[in-house]
Amino acid sequence: MTGIRDKSLRSALITGLDASVQDILATMAWTSVSFEGREVVPDLLLSDGVAGLVRMQGDHEGMVAISTDKPVGMELVSRIIGLPADDLNTEDLLDGVGELANMICGGMKAKAGIGGVQLSSPVAIVGREYSALWKTHLKTEILSYALDKRLFRVHACF
Amino acid sequence: MRVLIVDDSSVMRKIVTRGLRQAGFKIDEILEAGDGQQAMEVLGQEQVDLILSDWNMPNMDGLTFVKEARKSIQTPIVMVTTEGGEGKVQEAINSGANGHIKKPFTPETLKGTLGKYFG
Repeated sequence: MTGIRDKSLRSALITGLDASVQDILATMAWTSVSFEGREVVPDLLLSDGVAGLVRMQGDHEGMVAISTDKPVGMELVSRIIGLPADDLNTEDLLDGVGELANMICGGMKAKAGIGGVQLSSPVAIVGREYSALWKTHLKTEILSYALDKRLFRVHACF
Repeated sequence: MRVLIVDDSSVMRKIVTRGLRQAGFKIDEILEAGDGQQAMEVLGQEQVDLILSDWNMPNMDGLTFVKEARKSIQTPIVMVTTEGGEGKVQEAINSGANGHIKKPFTPETLKGTLGKYFG
């Protein structure tokens, strides 16, 4: 599998991803996040309480994931649905996290203006203890955001 | 006004419902279906005034649903999608869809796109 080697395209996707995160959380979750930084790591490794993943296939391949702890995940889903967090069931949380990942990736693609890429349906994970690893040679860029002093991360592996 | 929301994500059905309420539309009843096939079953038993449908769904996707629905009803169908791919939008409109809303959306977006169906 080949990732995205074109620097300007990578840059457009990362910029689009950042803009999409801010846009989706502001528009759908009625909240704002502050950008905390970015880092490049060797693997796409997820271990926070909730995660959502979307596969990119076609002319350009990769994976984009979101992750955060369960309280933040529940708060975000509560906000986008408009129901108190205590009223959410597991299906709501799984669906909501998946939908967040779906919207963020769709927004990235639209903002970067790339064609020839299909996005998979999202995969959502909610768990107390897990590690999820995507085996690929591609490095992962992590964008971190703070939401009420807790972290919301976006993992771009392409 | 009766609205049918077709989406395999229960959360997205709730998000759309919340958006419609926040937009201030007068809605008597909201019906839900988890995919195009379920939507066809609902439409076989119920009359609705507006349909909002997702694209990517199991069993019967949004585009197939539009084509199937147009064989028997002319109720306005507005597609709701994450990606604003013009090709897909045009294909849906050619198949009988009446419009398109891109996620994320605000109550104002919904007002602008759906206002004409609520009179």
